[in-house]
Amino acid sequence: MSVKAFELVPAVERDLLMGDKARINIECIECCGKHLYVGTNDCFIHHFLLDEVTSSKGKLSYSAQKLLHKYLGLKKPVAELRAASALERLIVLCDGIVFLVDMVTLETVPSAAGGGAKIRGVTAFCINENPVNGDPFCVEMGVLSSKRRTVQIYMVYEDRVQLVKDVTTPEQPCAISLDGYFLCLALTTQYMILNYNTGASQDLFPYNSEERRPIVKRISREEFLLAAPGGLGMFANAEGVSQRAPVNWSESVIGAAVCFPYVVALDESFITIHSMLDQQLKQTLSFRDGHILQDFEGKVILASTKSVYVLVPLPLERQIQDLLASHRVEEALILTEGAQRNIPKDKFQILRKRILQQAGFIHFGQLQFLEAKEHFRKGQLDVRELISLYPLLLPASSSFTRCHPPLHEFADLNHLAQGDQEKVLRCKKFLITYLGEVRSTEVVNGCREDVDTALLKLYAEQDHDSLLDLLASDNACVLADSIPWLEKYHKYFALGLLYHYNGQDAAALQLWIRVVDGDLQDTTRSDLYEYIVDFLCSSSLDLIWKYADWALRKDPTIGVHVFTKRPVSKDQPELNPDDVISYLGKHSKALLLYMEHLVLERRIQKEKFHTHLAVLYLEKVLSLLSQTPIDKEQLTKARERLQALLRESNLYRVQFLLGKMENCEELLLERATLYGKLEEHDKALHILVHKLRDFPSAEAFCLWASSCRDSAYQQQLFHLLLGVYLDGNLPGTAAGSGDGDLEMAAVDLLNRHGEVFDAVRVLRMLPEGWSLQLLRPFLNRAVRASMHACRTSQIALGLAHSENLQLLHDRLKERKKPIFVSEKKGCHLCHNTFSEPGVVCLPGGVPVHTHCVAQRVRDSPTKRQLTNSSNHT
Amino acid sequence: MPDMSKMKKPDVKVVLLGDMNVGKTSLLHRYMERKFKDTVSTVGGAFFLKQWGPYNISIWDTAGREQFHGLGSMYCRGAAAVILTYDVTNWQSLAELEERFLSLTDTANHDCIYAIVGNKADLTDSKAHLSRDSDGQSENQTECEEGRTEPEVLSACPTPPASPASLSGLMLHKQVTREDAVALYGRILRYKGLEEKSSLPAEKMCFETSAKTGYNVDALFEALFDLVLPSILRKRHENQESPTVDLEECRGVSGKKARSSCC
Repeated sequence: MSVKAFELVPAVERDLLMGDKARINIECIECCGKHLYVGTNDCFIHHFLLDEVTSSKGKLSYSAQKLLHKYLGLKKPVAELRAASALERLIVLCDGIVFLVDMVTLETVPSAAGGGAKIRGVTAFCINENPVNGDPFCVEMGVLSSKRRTVQIYMVYEDRVQLVKDVTTPEQPCAISLDGYFLCLALTTQYMILNYNTGASQDLFPYNSEERRPIVKRISREEFLLAAPGGLGMFANAEGVSQRAPVNWSESVIGAAVCFPYVVALDESFITIHSMLDQQLKQTLSFRDGHILQDFEGKVILASTKSVYVLVPLPLERQIQDLLASHRVEEALILTEGAQRNIPKDKFQILRKRILQQAGFIHFGQLQFLEAKEHFRKGQLDVRELISLYPLLLPASSSFTRCHPPLHEFADLNHLAQGDQEKVLRCKKFLITYLGEVRSTEVVNGCREDVDTALLKLYAEQDHDSLLDLLASDNACVLADSIPWLEKYHKYFALGLLYHYNGQDAAALQLWIRVVDGDLQDTTRSDLYEYIVDFLCSSSLDLIWKYADWALRKDPTIGVHVFTKRPVSKDQPELNPDDVISYLGKHSKALLLYMEHLVLERRIQKEKFHTHLAVLYLEKVLSLLSQTPIDKEQLTKARERLQALLRESNLYRVQFLLGKMENCEELLLERATLYGKLEEHDKALHILVHKLRDFPSAEAFCLWASSCRDSAYQQQLFHLLLGVYLDGNLPGTAAGSGDGDLEMAAVDLLNRHGEVFDAVRVLRMLPEGWSLQLLRPFLNRAVRASMHACRTSQIALGLAHSENLQLLHDRLKERKKPIFVSEKKGCHLCHNTFSEPGVVCLPGGVPVHTHCVAQRVRDSPTKRQLTNSSNHT
Repeated sequence: MPDMSKMKKPDVKVVLLGDMNVGKTSLLHRYMERKFKDTVSTVGGAFFLKQWGPYNISIWDTAGREQFHGLGSMYCRGAAAVILTYDVTNWQSLAELEERFLSLTDTANHDCIYAIVGNKADLTDSKAHLSRDSDGQSENQTECEEGRTEPEVLSACPTPPASPASLSGLMLHKQVTREDAVALYGRILRYKGLEEKSSLPAEKMCFETSAKTGYNVDALFEALFDLVLPSILRKRHENQESPTVDLEECRGVSGKKARSSCC
């Protein structure tokens, strides 16, 4: 429970005051700066000079020097003393009389002329510490008198007192405190607040003042501390509202004071200290015969009947450290926050951070990671403090040293866990999460290398998945420090990534190759070989030439990706295909794949590559053919590829290839294609029809060979094919048995592709003996097509005609204005008027009688063109 | 919780009133700390600050003991909302609200709102076992199954469980029905001289809760906070109209105001 917040230090010992006189007791005290005044029950005032002495060990003690003592001459106890330092007066209450004495001489001040310096019948008084009067040489005082239910307000001057206000109270007041215009009073049965300026009053709460001694203590501006029923210390402000929760005293409290953030109270045998922040009892000090507890300008002074003590607060920092030392983190933090107003802002920020960090480590030590993390975050902990707990995690190059004084009591993780491996593991897991979270924040500014290296080591050690993510992304892992660690845990793939990140691709490749070759063990990636090939794709040319051979030997199909999958980018030099081709000379399979890549994927239009690829295909086919037994499936595939290339490409050297397969009777189809390329269609068709007797291919050939030509070219080809078919029918050209086949092929061709042919020519070519029935589909289509063409052209003709007419009409409309013919107009030739609408128009739009023109034409035989008359109405 | 909010000035005050042992402190704990834990009889009073959006709400937990009764009206002074709490298994605790506690609210704001809350609903009502506040309640429940020690009069020493029935899972007899609470609400309005029509309806202001399971607890506090918002705004408004010149504020609006007023 306890915090050591205060220390009780003796100030004035018994022998200085009363020696061995047993019946003399202390009645009241007053402290003003270094001056301590003590009033006794034998009507003396003692004046001491109180000096603080700090020992070499930092321990505080007081030395009291007695200056004077004075008998007041009333034979009654001195009930109260208050200093008015500006006036150099002590206000004294003794025997029900308030009067003034000089602070230095302790002589009673005589009354000034015209005003008394004494007030009689007084039971208690108080000084207004928040005066409403602006005069610095005047003290405001509230006075309770013994007989009347009133409070009187006085102004105290150097040599007189002046009554300024008389305030009536509903009951007899028995304790008073004053702040501004607010009187806080303990009445017989309750407490109340009274504004003596406005007269407004506010009941606080009931309290039996006869049963228990009331306490009315001003603790700050317009706020009071009151003894409440049940031994409570209640707070109330001038509005009658409680803004702080009460503290729990004993029932017999004698005096109380606030020394932020604590409430100090005195009862018969103890001093109790409660925190105002959480209302908890923080410290109890035994104090026999306690009598007085008062605070003077922040200094708490206590008196027993015989001697005087000072309650010295320990520095807040020390209290907080004590709390932390006993692992009372919450309390320490509350106290820290509470200390904010007692400590300068910048200093407080530093203190707060440190306390939070310490609190974090305490939670950490108890494996309460959630709390620890929160405190570390709020306290902006240097992450390395935490990392340094884990042996060997910080890189050797780190300049970090733990802060001093230390933030925690642990030497390292093993010390903390006391050999419990499960605890160690949990701590490591926590660090992994914590570092993972902070590494991207500004907390790690300046120690990014340390953090990332530590994280890498943890990941490696714990076989954590995120190791690769860390290395593949932006990181600051220290290479030299990480190498042995990663090697230790066989994280060679990861190490390679780190080499790569540090620009040492060659080292990375060497390492990985050793893993693939089985010299090193690391199962991180089962597809490491593919990864390496992939990696080489985007590597520098040097590395490619260096390791391509290894990759190709391992697996040419995948290895060739080094060359084929290289991304095109401006930063990287491109591979020269010629270099690659000559390099791949000894890797025939890879070379083929590379050539395919160049020609088929990248579609490089270079004769050399196309020819090379065609030759490679051809060689492949030839080698398959030379094998015994022949692998039919493979051969078909290889030939298909060859044929496709021969068909699609226009770049390879046809003659060269033709020469290569001159002697090969198996590759007739290929040869036909090549002849097709040379436009020697008759040769090609001859091979197809007569040698291969492959009529569908022949048809396909015709379609292919004419695919990008006009229809006339196509027609010509088809006629050629038909010719070849029919020629085969000529006696002596082919074996008799095949005649029917060719005939049928011709018929099929006609029936299938009838639209291509010129029907008239076909009919002329066909042998006389063929039945109509045989060619019916062809003829049908031919007649249809011919009809269709005929009708289409008729329609076109009609349309053209009508268009022409339309245009003619439009032209006339544009050129000629209407010609008016009326009964009043005369004919230009005979000068008679017109009687009929039918007229003839001469050039220039002049209307004349038809008969007149006829007459004229008859007269001049040369002008016949005018006989074509037209009517205009 | 060490929290900077402790140092902030509250905008509005909410007070929990009710007889001892009805569970005022537990309700507040459940709401603030999401836990049901052993409490001892509250001495005098305690308060918490709750950050509600931009506002600080102080919630006062008062002592139910007769001894501290006199302090009640001080706690209620200036309150914007009063939560009158009773125990659903204890008829007397409802009666006390009317007899002892209602008069304490005389010092509250004139527009103070009143909620009537029957706590310990888990003892009489199985539906109160299904907490409506989901977070972390399941583990608390087991931990607290035997943890319900009722704070008895005086003393911090462990007290025997007031409701042994809760251990065996038996339902206790419900002594106070919701209708009783609604009727009390009506009488409170009459006592305050308020029109029933213009006041908040009883259905909205009568709650049955369980601090132990968390049933209805968030709903209670959040409903109240939403209802006191106008009170906060009014209070802020009053402060703005105070004769004190707020330099910060003047700087903010001076530009606009100066322009609009000069012509």
